[in-house]
Parts: sequence; structure tokens; C-alpha cells
Amino acid sequence: MADRLTPARVLIYALLAGFAAFYLVPLLVVVLNSVRTAEDIGATSVVGLPRELAFGNFERAWGSYCIARRCEGISPYMWNSFLMVVPATIISTLLGALNGYSLALWRFRGDNWVFGIITLGVFLPEQMKLVPWTLVLRDLGLTNTIAGLVLIHVVQGISFTTLFCRNYYTAIPQELLKAAKIDGAGFFRIFWRIVLPLSPPILIVTVIWQFTHIWNEFLYGVTFTSGAQQPVTAALIALSVSVSEAPQYGVQSAAVLIAALPTLLVYLFGGKYFVRGLTAGAVK
Amino acid sequence: MTPDPGPATAPAAPALDAPRAAARRAAARPAWRDAIGRWLPHLVLWPPLLVSVVHVLGFTGYTTWMSFTASTLMPDYEWVGLRNYTAVLNSRNWQIATDNLLIYGAGFVVLTTALGLLLAVLIDQRVRGENLFRTIYLYPMAVSFVVTGTVWAWLLNPSIGIQRLVRSMGWGGFRFDWLVDREMAIYTIVIAGAWQASGFAMALFLAGIRSVDADLYKAAQVDGAGPWRIYRRVVLPAIWPIFIAVLVILLQYTIKTFDLVRALTGGGPGIATQLPALVVYDLMFQRGLLGRGSAAAVMMLLSLLLVLVPYFGFMRWRRHREARHG
Amino acid sequence: MSATTHRRGLLAAAGLLAVPSVAMAQASAPRPRITVISQWSAGSDGAAISRLGEVFTAEGGVWEHNPVPGFTTEMMNKLRADILAGNPPAASQLKGPEIAAWSRIAPTVDLTQLVAAAGYEQVVAPDLARLHKPQGRWAALPLQVYRTNTLFASRRAMERVGATALPKTWAEFNDLAARMKAAGITPVANGGIRWDDGQKFECALAGINPATYRKAIMELDDGALRGAEVLGAFRQLRMISEWMDPAASGQHYSTFLPRFVRGEMGMLMMGGWAQGVIRHAGFSDQDYLVGQVPVDNGRPCFVLNADAFIFWRRREPEFQAGQTLMANLVMSPRVQEMYSQITGSIPVRTDMDLSGAGWSTGQREAAASLAAAVQAGQSVLSLAHNMAQTNQMSAAMIDVLTEFVHNRSLRPEQGQQRLAEAVEAAR
Repeated sequence: MADRLTPARVLIYALLAGFAAFYLVPLLVVVLNSVRTAEDIGATSVVGLPRELAFGNFERAWGSYCIARRCEGISPYMWNSFLMVVPATIISTLLGALNGYSLALWRFRGDNWVFGIITLGVFLPEQMKLVPWTLVLRDLGLTNTIAGLVLIHVVQGISFTTLFCRNYYTAIPQELLKAAKIDGAGFFRIFWRIVLPLSPPILIVTVIWQFTHIWNEFLYGVTFTSGAQQPVTAALIALSVSVSEAPQYGVQSAAVLIAALPTLLVYLFGGKYFVRGLTAGAVK
Repeated sequence: MTPDPGPATAPAAPALDAPRAAARRAAARPAWRDAIGRWLPHLVLWPPLLVSVVHVLGFTGYTTWMSFTASTLMPDYEWVGLRNYTAVLNSRNWQIATDNLLIYGAGFVVLTTALGLLLAVLIDQRVRGENLFRTIYLYPMAVSFVVTGTVWAWLLNPSIGIQRLVRSMGWGGFRFDWLVDREMAIYTIVIAGAWQASGFAMALFLAGIRSVDADLYKAAQVDGAGPWRIYRRVVLPAIWPIFIAVLVILLQYTIKTFDLVRALTGGGPGIATQLPALVVYDLMFQRGLLGRGSAAAVMMLLSLLLVLVPYFGFMRWRRHREARHG
Repeated sequence: MSATTHRRGLLAAAGLLAVPSVAMAQASAPRPRITVISQWSAGSDGAAISRLGEVFTAEGGVWEHNPVPGFTTEMMNKLRADILAGNPPAASQLKGPEIAAWSRIAPTVDLTQLVAAAGYEQVVAPDLARLHKPQGRWAALPLQVYRTNTLFASRRAMERVGATALPKTWAEFNDLAARMKAAGITPVANGGIRWDDGQKFECALAGINPATYRKAIMELDDGALRGAEVLGAFRQLRMISEWMDPAASGQHYSTFLPRFVRGEMGMLMMGGWAQGVIRHAGFSDQDYLVGQVPVDNGRPCFVLNADAFIFWRRREPEFQAGQTLMANLVMSPRVQEMYSQITGSIPVRTDMDLSGAGWSTGQREAAASLAAAVQAGQSVLSLAHNMAQTNQMSAAMIDVLTEFVHNRSLRPEQGQQRLAEAVEAAR
């Protein structure tokens, strides 16, 4: 069926391509700017074709652009971001899956309240929590550490991951659990043998969400770290400007593209877990 | 603050009927292993749940308390009653921000949900290059929001962006100047927001669609239902929890929209595209009025309860009904 | 500026710089160390503060600069977090009346003796000195000064309408702008973000009457705020807004520089930093004329914006030694010369000689104007750059101004009334 080009399928592809074009336009602007010189952009416009190709922007953005007297580009900051985002994503996803599992499939007294309060957590703006987090990190002695940022992102992230997983797991038929319980399976055994194999699509959604949000988070990153520990978003902003300086759009665009690569790779490789049949197969 | 996973929490612990079965099977095992087997779930489960609950209640409570104090640059615990609330309610910024929140919220949630669902359904048609399309629709989330806001600001700017491009292609009378139009600027935020978030809505919908039991499809196909009918009658009802997740995510996105506006319009032209999250940040940190900013944050959360409380009420009602009907 | 005062300044500074070196000679003295928070992470700002760090290191100190990128608020958040954690930086970037506000929440270093020893107060504009000594004690030191009422005129645009000199009064400005408009040129090349809108207003009011600016904006005198000259400034602001590109809303002024240089846009009211930005975009100093925004009474008027460091009290002897060294460096002519030549600002000291090759025409003109404006009592503090009022008051006032610029249905009378009401509400 997939190979026959009926009018309906032509329409489907046309729509997909049309939307793809719409989504790609801003990226195109960034890609074009990443190979333009600062003079070119300054003298013409930030939206335009390069007059000459300046691939040096990437090299400078990665390894030699000066940010705060350290002329090492964004590469050290990328590493900081990894140290923060990988543990925070894994821990919060795992805890979210467990929470979602227990809230969706092991009803207990007050579970709705617990879920309601956790859901409320996704609505708290980070601006509002800045001062309380400052106090908490101070009391825990985690000010200016990456561990402090991991803690923040795990605690905040649990709200999202629990929400995603819980809502996904409610679609798992109770009969499956009942059967497993009759077979003598316990809490973890059911999670491990039945729920987890059903989970790849939602886990990848959860990882996508957590990874991108932690990776792109800026406010906490600059407030709770110093100098050489700062995450890459801080370096990206540092490349852009204050009132008194002409923006370095060329290098900046290159830096933005480099900084977006890890997230894009997560999307690209995570995507295969969306394939249909996996779930149906596992259930049987 | 540290959650206590110990026996104190036991009465509220999961009403596991599993232990009974497990006990039957594990009759031969030593008692201590049995005890661990029984308590381990509680030890693993409760800390994260409790940390979450304490984080939400604690931080909300702290902010509420601050909102009644005279705090300026630093927390200060002098009680001032409702003064901060009246000051915020009387400010033009806040009035504009709340009006905008309604327009933006409605436009953004509807547009993003529709786009996300449409894209998920299109991608679900066993298309070639699925991975590529999916990544293209998702990538807006990969790029720092400060950056995407800036790029949209260029594209939407009449003198350098789309308008200039279309005019240079020969359509001289073309106008697309919403960004600099006080009445229309809020809709540019809807567009940029939908562009950014619809990919994620698509991913969630796709995860839901792909988890629908293949047997249901087959049964429907055997009955001779067309694809449209299958989606409407089989798939969409099966994924309603995903709709809830998408709506909650979009709602929180709406309320928290900050970086995008800061980079796209800076709240302008003038103060025409203010949103509550910007006002909160502006009051707390630009103007150094922590108390007043907290009052704005509390009102923002209260407005949210207007949406959430009916939702939880509905869930309760639904659950009761399900329980009654077996 | 006479050569003798200049030489005296240099001698004084040389003496100052000797102090830490002497201290270093004593074996028991701790090695000066300083931790600095600023938002200057890149570009010429970043380069300038890095050079300051090099000088500091050359004097035997240990320099730890921690830039907080992004908007100023992010830097303030960092500062708040560090103060709450009981670990304030030895020095941090802070400006205007916020110095007084923040110095109330954590103890600062008393620099009064150092300043007196350097004879520094006499060479700083009085308004500026006042901002840096809350409760009469110096707690902070200004680092560099910018004039926000600097007028840049596109040479090509001027040639197209046959103009050769910058307008001296608002009447001349309006006349020139009308001619440009008639010639198909967008007369005003400014952007349309908050501080830019506030800056256009302060240029208008300071140009109409610096004394009224002082009363209305700096002293918040209700009579002046509701008076005829503030109304006049709103009228002028309305004209300026109508001469801007309609697409300027939310745009940084640098977006329009190419059109400005090509002569499609006429005049830009901007701080002196714009010279560096124009040069950076690959254009030459010959592409524009530069001078003072119109002042109706014909005398120099200087709307002042200054960056500064506040010094937070630390117990550690090495930090105290570092703060002394840092303070002396920041006050010294050679550091001020080094700093301003990198950023395009002008020195805080009004006794410096800018005839050297490292200075631009624009800098010389602005520095001379500062000294003359101080003499004439016509130097005032910038509203748009948070020099005249605390951030709370500035933000409330700029809300009104930016809305007025972008909502053309508002009449000047309404704008004036809203401004007075906003001031009343924010007091």
C-alpha cells in the first residue's frame, strides 16, 4: 500500500512536505548566517544569502571564540551541559516511570491528590522558584555546583515525567496486571516484565522533553553556576550581545547549530522506538 | 523537608494486593527477604513522590507568604496584607498581560493541538522518510528558545523578513507587519509558539496512536471502516489520556511563556504583548519587588486552578462512573 | 583642559599605583585577590574587562572574573544568590541608584579614604559622585561614562538634502527631519525597544531644558512633570516616533545601521557606544557626523550613563588587599584610558587629555562636552539607563514612554498625564 501513489497519498506527502518547509525556514536563516561573515551580515541584513562562504565560524564557535577571556569556544560548556543533562534526564525519567506506574496501576488512598499536586508542579514558573531554590541550594551546600543543577532539574522534572508516564500507563488494561498478580508477580516484577516493555514510545517522549528542556534552560544555569562550570546556554547568550556591542551573528549562529546537535541526535535515534507493532507484539 | 519513607507512611502506602500472591509464592523464603520484598516498593516509591509534593507545596506556600510581605530586593518578612495584590491588579502591565494570556492561550492551545494531531496522523500513514519528517517537526524544540524567538523576530519584521522577501519577488503590495502592529503582535507569539511546540504535541499523539492495540484496527478494518472512521471511532477514544497530557503541557507552556516573548517582541510594541510570566519576572528581578512579583505569581496560579479544578472534578466523576459500571 | 592638571592627575595616579606594590614588598602581606561579577562576557566590553584583569595580574594580584551573560537582571539574580549564600563577590558591576538600594542589603567596603587619598572626587561629575557614595560613604566606583544624547547623522542622507551641519536646536532638527522625509529618507534611525524609547524621551526633554529634566526626572517634582516643558518633550517624542521606520518596534537599533549608512535613514540618537558598533559592522567613521543631540539653550548638555563596580565587604585579608588594588586601578587615568579606548566610552575623570591618537573625534567631543556641561550645571543622569531613578521607578516611567512611542493614538497630553500618574503610583 505504501508504494502505490494514489491521489490521497500524493496529498499526504504534499502536506508533509509543506509543513516541513514551514518548520525549516527559521533553521535555514540560522544555517545561512552560520556561514556568513560578521561584516556581511552587518552591512546587509540578518536575513539573506551569504556573499562568500565563511566556514571558519564553526571552528571559532567550537574552539577559539573568546568567552570571558577563555578563548576555547563553546566546547567546554558543552561538556558541562552533558554532565548536567545526562544524569538529570536519566534519573527524572526513571523516577517518573515508577511514579506513573504506581499512580496509574497501583491505586492507593489519596493517589488522586498526589497526582494532582505533582501535576500542579508543571505549572510553577521557574522565575517564581528562583529565590526558594537559592535558599534550598544554600542550605544543602550545593550553590555553584553542577550537582545542585541536577537536583533542581530532577525535582522539577519529576512532575513532567510522572504526568507523561501516568497518562500513558492508564491505557494499559488492568486485566494484564491481574493476570500477572495471579501468577505471583510483585511490584517490580510487573514493572520490569510488563510495563517497561510497553514503555519505549512514552519514555522517548519523556527523554526528549527532559533532555531539551534541561539542555536549553538558561535562568538557573547562569544563576547557580560560575565561570567555567556554566552550561552551554550561558555561553550562547554570552556570544550574543549587550546594548553596546554589534552582534556576532555568524559565530553565534554556528554556535547555536553546534549546541543543538545533541538534542537533534536524541530525536533522530530515539525516533525508531515509535514504530508500531512493538507494543502490540509485547502485549501478546 | 526530607521525606520519610519509613513505617509512618505505611497506612497510606499502595494498597497492594500483590503481596498476598507474592507471599503465597514466597512461603519458602526467609522472613527477612520477604520483608524486603514487601518494603522495597515503598522505599523506592515514596521518596520521589514526597519530594515532588513537598517541592510543589513548599515553593507555592513560600511564594504565597512572600506575596503578603514587603519584600523588595531580598526576602523580608514584614507583613503588608493585600497591598501587593492591589498594586499588581491596578497596574496597566498586569491588565494587558491577563488579556493577552486569554488570547494567546486560546490561540496557542487550539492551533498547536490541531497541528500536532494532524502531523501525527499524517506521519502515521506509513510514509517513507518518517524519521526525517518527525525530526524536522521536532527540531524547533532543540534550539534554545532565546534563539528561535530572535530568528522569528527577523522573519516577521516587515523591513527585513517575509514581507520584504515577498515584495522583492514582485508582489509589491504584500503586507505582513503583525509584529509591529500593537493589535496583532500577540498573534505572532501564537505562531512562533505553535511552531515550537506542535512537534512535541505530535510526538505525544504519535506515542499514543502507536500504542493502540493492533487488533482494534484489524477489527475495524474487517468491519469495513475507512481510515477517517477508524481514527474517529477507534484511535481518538483510545488515546484520550494523551489529549489530557497534551492539554496540560500546552497550558503550562502558555502560562510559562517567557523566553520566546522576551526575544520576539520584548513585550512590545510598547507593552502590547506583556504576559503574566514576564510581569512576574519583571517585578521580581528587574524592579526588585519580590513581594509584588510573588503576588502576581500567586494570581497566575489561581487563574490556573480555575481550569484545573473542573478537570480534576471531571476525572473524579468519570472514575466513579467507571467504578459503578464495572 | 590644561596640561598641568593632567600631569598632576598622572602623578597622583602613579603614587597610588605604588601603594600596592609597596605592600607587596612586605613578605607578610597577603597576595591581593579579587572576584568580580559582571555581564561583560564578550565583544569590546569583554575585551576591556579582560585587559583590566591583565593589569590587575601584572600588579601582583589574582584575578577571577565571572561574567554572567544575558540581561542585567540575570547578573543581579546571580548577585542575589551569592549574597544569600553568604559569599558575595569582592566586586560586582552595579550602576545608578541601585548602588544605594543594594548597599542596604549587604555590607559594602568603605572606600572614602582611598578616594580622598586619590583626590578623585574633585575630578568626577558631582551627580555621579553622589550615586557612588550612599550615606556619604563611597561604596562603589564609576568605571566609564557614556553620553546618551549623542546624535549621529548619516553623511549620505545629509548630502541628499544638502545639509552640512548637525541641527543645534529641536526646531532645526524638526526642519531637517521634514526635509529628509520629503526626500524619501526615514529621518530617525533608532530602534524601538524599551530603553531606546526611553532614551529618545530623555534626549527630547534634556534638549528642551536640562533644568526641567533635573526637576522632573531626577527629582520627580510633580509640578515639573505636569508642566509645559515635559508636555513639549512628549510632543517632540511624538514627532520622533512618526519619523521612525514603522518596523522599528522591538528592533535593536543595529538592525538599521546598513540603511543608515546608505543614507536611507537620517539621524540616530544613541549613546557613544554606537561608534564601536558602526565600526564593527564594517563601516567607517567617515560615514556619519557625530555630535550632541539638539539643546535649545545652545549650551553643552550631557545626559550621563556610567558603569560602575560596587565593592562588597569580605573578611579575608587577600580580598581586602585586592579591593584596594582594584579601587586604585579603576580610579587611575591609565586604566580609564585603556578601558575607554577599548569600549568607545569616555573616562570618568574630567581632567584627562584626549588628544592622543587612541581617541576618536567623537570621544574627544563628548569628553569636552562633559567637562563643559558640568561647568554649566547641565549634566544630568539618564533615565533610560537606570541612572536617574531606581529600577522600580525607571521601569514604571519607561512603561509609559514606550507605550506612547508605539501607540500613536495617544496624545502628548495623555502621555504626560500617564507619566505623572505612573510616578505617583511607583513612589
